[in-house]
Amino acid sequence: MTDRRRVNGPVGSTHPPVFENEPEQELGASKCLRTRAPTVTRKMYLKTGVTPSASGSAYLEIETSGKGSVSGLKLSCTVHGPRSLPRSTPFSPHIILSTHVKYAPFATKQRRGYLRDPTERDLGSHLETALRGAIIADRWPKSGVDIIISIVEGDQDREASKSQGGEAWDMMNALSGCITVASAALTDAGIDCVDTVAGGVAALVRDEGDDTTPRIVIDPIPSEHEQILAACCVAYLPDRDEITNLWFKGDLPASDMELYSQLVEKGIQASRNSNEVIVSSLRETVG
Amino acid sequence: MAATAPSSAAIAIPGQLLGPASKFQPGPGTHIHESNLYSSLLGLVHVTQPVKAPGPVKRLNKITPAPAPAELPTISVSRSAVSDKRETLPEVGNTVLCRVIRITPRQAVVAILICGETVLDAEWQGLIRVQDVRATEKDRVKIYESFRPGDIVRAEVISLGDQANYYLSTSRNELGVIMATSEAGNTMFPVNWKEYRDPETGFSEPRKVAKPY
Repeated sequence: MTDRRRVNGPVGSTHPPVFENEPEQELGASKCLRTRAPTVTRKMYLKTGVTPSASGSAYLEIETSGKGSVSGLKLSCTVHGPRSLPRSTPFSPHIILSTHVKYAPFATKQRRGYLRDPTERDLGSHLETALRGAIIADRWPKSGVDIIISIVEGDQDREASKSQGGEAWDMMNALSGCITVASAALTDAGIDCVDTVAGGVAALVRDEGDDTTPRIVIDPIPSEHEQILAACCVAYLPDRDEITNLWFKGDLPASDMELYSQLVEKGIQASRNSNEVIVSSLRETVG
Repeated sequence: MAATAPSSAAIAIPGQLLGPASKFQPGPGTHIHESNLYSSLLGLVHVTQPVKAPGPVKRLNKITPAPAPAELPTISVSRSAVSDKRETLPEVGNTVLCRVIRITPRQAVVAILICGETVLDAEWQGLIRVQDVRATEKDRVKIYESFRPGDIVRAEVISLGDQANYYLSTSRNELGVIMATSEAGNTMFPVNWKEYRDPETGFSEPRKVAKPY
């Protein structure tokens, strides 16, 4: 009996592909510095209704920084539901959100497994808090909604040799994209929301070369900066002027307490930018 | 971005201000926040004017509940322009069509197929308890004399029920079995309020028959 459930490899022996060596690049020389102004986000492409079988879906792409080997962020989100809960769950007077974030195996520099690892679970729970503040949950009693995001490309510099703890900063960018794309997909599914929630990232960075004071940039790419000191990712409701989720990471100099609120302020600014993309993309679909 | 004066057939985005709650009534697809009406769906804005009572009011000869103060126009956001698929949930008071899955002496388990006018995508389970089958002589009701598995039943939602089931009731004349098949497998026709008859064998079977409209 053959295994019909999996796509198996060929039976005989195979040879691994041999690639021609790429021209050696001088590390450091290839380093691409940020050319955008500190308050400018990268360009974004958002489209809703891409998956016909789901009740709501959206696709988000953020442009690369211009360097060839730096991939942008590509996210695909599907919303299934509202649908009936399994029999074992207790009575719930409101909708039950469940979020799943999964990196594609090829999305990042380090190959990802097929099972969800702790960082993906972490992203999922952050996303759930961000969305729960935006959904009017009691419009849909006794039902559940599944939000599934697959990260097709993970916004990483594949040639950066040093890892400068970049994983965590990449997660912030991914989370902000996840919030934005999930919000568009929820609206597409027709689930009542108080506002279109959007994500934004701001970071306190120190650039290569200058030993001056660190500066705050929005929508940072870790590979473009010498060091990221702190970063925060906010999920923000622009019309309500409320933050539904705030994730702050890093060390701030204790002398400057203002810096913390400045960083959150810039994160809000970044999320306002992505919210504009959501609004204009949604407006296009009506008509 | 927030439009203060909503015109008809304007696009609304979740979180968009539609107007003050003192001037409009909230309809479907809207919510109230800080005494203002906001959209909660993506779609087109519709403003429906209230229906005026036609002619002079008749002299009251029976006690009726006071009419709702519906002088305000209702504002609603409809998704019909965005997509035709819209998930609906059975709500208390809705009339639903369902198929009987299994019966026990205490209850009949049904699958809700149609809610109001819309066919449901998701499968929702309902329960018709023995005391909800009819309004009179409730203690003589027997489930197997009212429903059989496979019957199509018109019922009313009386409660959101427990974790798995909606509670349904057929205790009105126009509610009950609307389609039934006999033990021989033929489609039967109703003969009175408690019997369906097989046209081929001539046998009749007991059911809680819905009064035709």
